[in-house]
Amino acid sequence: MSVGLSSASMSPVAGSLDRTKGSCSAGAARRGRRASRVKYALIIILFLAPSAIPLVYFTVYPMFSALWVSFHKWNLLSDMTWVGVGNYIDLIHDPLTQRAFLNSVLYIVGYFPLVYVGGLGLAIALNSAVPFRNFLRGVYFLPVVTSWIVVALVWRWLLNPSGGVANYLLSLVGVQGPGWWTDPHWALPSIILASAWKDLGFVMVILLAGLQSIPQDLYEAARVDGAGWWARLRHITFPMLTPSTFFVTVISLINGFQVFDQVYAMTGGGPAGASTVVVERVYDLTFRYSQAGTASALSWMLFLLVLLVTVVQMIGQRKWVNYA
Amino acid sequence: MSRLTHLVRLGLAAVVGLSLAACSNGTPGGTSSTAGSEDVTITYTNFISAGANEANLTKIVDAFEAANPGITVDVKTLPYADYFTALQTDIAGGTVADVFDIEYANYKAYQANGVLAAIKGVDTSVYQANLAQAYATDGTQYALPSSFSNVVLYYNKDLFDAAGVAYPAADWTWADEKAAAEKLTNQEAGQWGDYQPISYNEYYKVVAQAGGKYLNAGGTDTAFNTPQGIAAAKWLVEKSGTVMPTAEQGAGTADFDSKLFADGKLAMWHTGIWMFGSLADVPFAWDIAVEPGDTTKASAMFSNAMAISATSKHAEAAQKWVEYMTSSDVMVDTRLAAGWELPPISDEAKLGAYLKAGAPANRQAVFDALDKVALSPSIGDNQAQMQDLVTEQLTEAAAGRVSVEEAVAAAATKVDPLLK
Amino acid sequence: MPDQRQATAAKRPAWSRGRTPGAENPSSTTPPIRRRPVWKAVLLVALILGACVMFFPFLWSLSTSVSSGVGMSATPELIPDNPSFAAYAELFRKTPFARIIANSLGLAVATTVLQIITSSMAAYVFSRMPFPGRSIVFALYLATMMIPMQVLLVPLFVQMRNLGLVDSYLGVLLPSVASAFGVFLLRQAMNSLPRELDEAARIDGAGHLTIFSRIILPLVGPSIATLTVFSFMNSWNSFLWPLIILRSNELKTLPLALAGLQGQYTTRWDVMMAGSIVSILPMLAIYLFAQKYVIQGVANTGIK
Repeated sequence: MSVGLSSASMSPVAGSLDRTKGSCSAGAARRGRRASRVKYALIIILFLAPSAIPLVYFTVYPMFSALWVSFHKWNLLSDMTWVGVGNYIDLIHDPLTQRAFLNSVLYIVGYFPLVYVGGLGLAIALNSAVPFRNFLRGVYFLPVVTSWIVVALVWRWLLNPSGGVANYLLSLVGVQGPGWWTDPHWALPSIILASAWKDLGFVMVILLAGLQSIPQDLYEAARVDGAGWWARLRHITFPMLTPSTFFVTVISLINGFQVFDQVYAMTGGGPAGASTVVVERVYDLTFRYSQAGTASALSWMLFLLVLLVTVVQMIGQRKWVNYA
Repeated sequence: MSRLTHLVRLGLAAVVGLSLAACSNGTPGGTSSTAGSEDVTITYTNFISAGANEANLTKIVDAFEAANPGITVDVKTLPYADYFTALQTDIAGGTVADVFDIEYANYKAYQANGVLAAIKGVDTSVYQANLAQAYATDGTQYALPSSFSNVVLYYNKDLFDAAGVAYPAADWTWADEKAAAEKLTNQEAGQWGDYQPISYNEYYKVVAQAGGKYLNAGGTDTAFNTPQGIAAAKWLVEKSGTVMPTAEQGAGTADFDSKLFADGKLAMWHTGIWMFGSLADVPFAWDIAVEPGDTTKASAMFSNAMAISATSKHAEAAQKWVEYMTSSDVMVDTRLAAGWELPPISDEAKLGAYLKAGAPANRQAVFDALDKVALSPSIGDNQAQMQDLVTEQLTEAAAGRVSVEEAVAAAATKVDPLLK
Repeated sequence: MPDQRQATAAKRPAWSRGRTPGAENPSSTTPPIRRRPVWKAVLLVALILGACVMFFPFLWSLSTSVSSGVGMSATPELIPDNPSFAAYAELFRKTPFARIIANSLGLAVATTVLQIITSSMAAYVFSRMPFPGRSIVFALYLATMMIPMQVLLVPLFVQMRNLGLVDSYLGVLLPSVASAFGVFLLRQAMNSLPRELDEAARIDGAGHLTIFSRIILPLVGPSIATLTVFSFMNSWNSFLWPLIILRSNELKTLPLALAGLQGQYTTRWDVMMAGSIVSILPMLAIYLFAQKYVIQGVANTGIK
């Protein structure tokens, strides 16, 4: 099993930095360090500018505008009034906001394992030589491209407390099904189920691309060594898939905190706020409740939380992600 | 490399600086342009024509432009569901059109924030009195009604005949409705006696029907946490599960009720007159009646209106267009011919064609309902929040998670601070 | 019963079976041959059952789109009583359909192409060109994904007004020229490529531009195909921002036109579902096309 790991040599980011830098300056030493460093910097700027300029101009700038708004009371219709950190203090003490943050976290805790394990299983299954493989991939991708309006209708029907398919199946095994989206305790799990179902195809596509990038000779070598299916999965597929897995994890968390469409379409945050999430509150506060300042403050609180979580993940990746 | 960090720092400084400038509400002014010294183009953003009536609106615009040489109306149509999101962004960005649609529920918010220009020198007698008044504040008109719809009681004649129950009549009260609904409900057959949404939009009206008040005289406090207010809530909530399907059975889902009625599984249905058109082809006989009351009658009325932006540079031309679109004969005829929402005019003689336009037979009920109207309070910025809170508490009571009394008390406690 | 042809093909070792090495999973190589058909049948049955569940909403939309009548049924009717294409006819009649599709397609293609260019260039720097503070800059890129879009609408609109880009294609396009999602996706893909590749090229005297365009880009083909799918999808589906920035009927995109068919009090479910079907098909086509490319791309790169 050492075969897989030796060829996909574990190289921590820091190590590879040195290597690239080393070879760069080694080649440049003869012509003069300075000129080469300027050129190197110019290439970096040239390569980053096409993405950095639009991002700064059309995302970072509005973000800071929103930060400015967050220190004001503003109904969008008339002038803003300065309230300092008042919006933030109000939000911290608002039970509905606490509920929204809690729900967003619960959503991620429920959603991510489902969608990751399901997506990984699908990717592995549909990467193997099953019949109708391309057709099946297309079908599993269908929910990803279907609008939430349609998906919500379907899931509300599947999870209909009286006469829905889910409760019918449960009744066959003698279980009294819950009230699903009409019940405060089951509204969020209903949303989680529907979301995981819809996003399976998304995770599948990302992981398929990852699987297809794994050099085939690793498997051949392992096979020669007599490694079984599970051993190859564990010692080649999983380690080689960690960059994709890391991507899926980070993106799912970022998107998970921004979950909105499905809540809006399935429960509208109800019953009685039981399934409200942060971005649903942001939308309502901005465009329905005339409290754009509060909405901006809430957005910045969410932003800082997601940033913190992501930075922790970025630091943590060094322990488990294998880059070539 | 240090250049890059410098660049980033510079960019961030610029960003913060610019944002200060950008958010100070920009320069006012419509997007309209003046072509010549006389010719003006006014912009009109609407939702009223979205869906089915774009061509009818164009017809009215053409007639207006022919009658007013030199004025061009540039129409932009947005779907109702997202209209107010776009409108608020436009107002915040200072790009709002000269003329735009609003609806009664949010009139107060726009008026109180100084978004609407005063409309002076209009003969409001051409409009139904209570509609024109609805858009006036302190004696000044800030918008003109463009249409109205009200809510009536639909009933399936075939189901009533089969059960041997007399049709709803003008003198019906809640007790009559309840008795009929119980006789017409047959849960095993999936047939229900009655359907009335459990929401704010019904609640303020049934409070009035019960002889109560939703707000106190000054509009400073709720007045529905009273025996009448509780009776009203019970009237709605106690239908659920007895004569009307529960939320668990699908009530409240989009179009659940219209499907149920169209399938012939619903005997009585409280909904707006906007459903006439889509029931044209149902295979059973149906008609409408004024909604029964408890101690008094009270019918809900929804209305759209047109307003002129306070920042418009062409207020005069804009006002001509608003008056034309809300009161001209061309507008009346076009709306009636198309089955578009009813014109808000006071001269009922002009609406004669409407009474004979086909099913339902008793279209007179639409006008009879106007005799006793319960208008939704329009409280300003907190309107949507108030509506959501009331609906939420009623839904909780209907689900049996709280008692009706608790729900009404909780709604009152939560709404009161929004009125300050 | 698994079909005979598949079972035979599977007996041959993976690498001899064609030119699509990456497309085969390890599971197709080892477990004892006796047990394989059974497992394969079980897997196939499970996959097909799952596929039915996945396919169901599409079927429901399709069926609703050809049913006429009031309302959306609470329970799906998979075979409508009186199928009619009235909803599609209305879609084509009431909207300048060719124009709308051209608008949506043009914006989606432009967004996709631009995002692939800007994302791959930035990803190359984050994968292959270290500089002090690089991980902080990268974190800042990611940070642009973390704030709810809903709260950026008004400030962004004000900015577009200042640039004079309200009601223009550029107003829709510019905010999505760059995508932190794309940068991250491609950076992960590039980080999985062996560094020996570029070192060999560097020894041969290749500069960063050459390594980027000749070596790295072709090798991240599968991920670029993935990004193509998601960029296209996001642009094709995007609703709220185009709604706010676009006014003229001639500029409207498909989601805006579809929303415009709904009235204040009533929803035409047949029309909505017809629109949903019409908008799903191009995305599905892009996905299937990309899938094909992924497999060919991997087959042609020659890395083993």
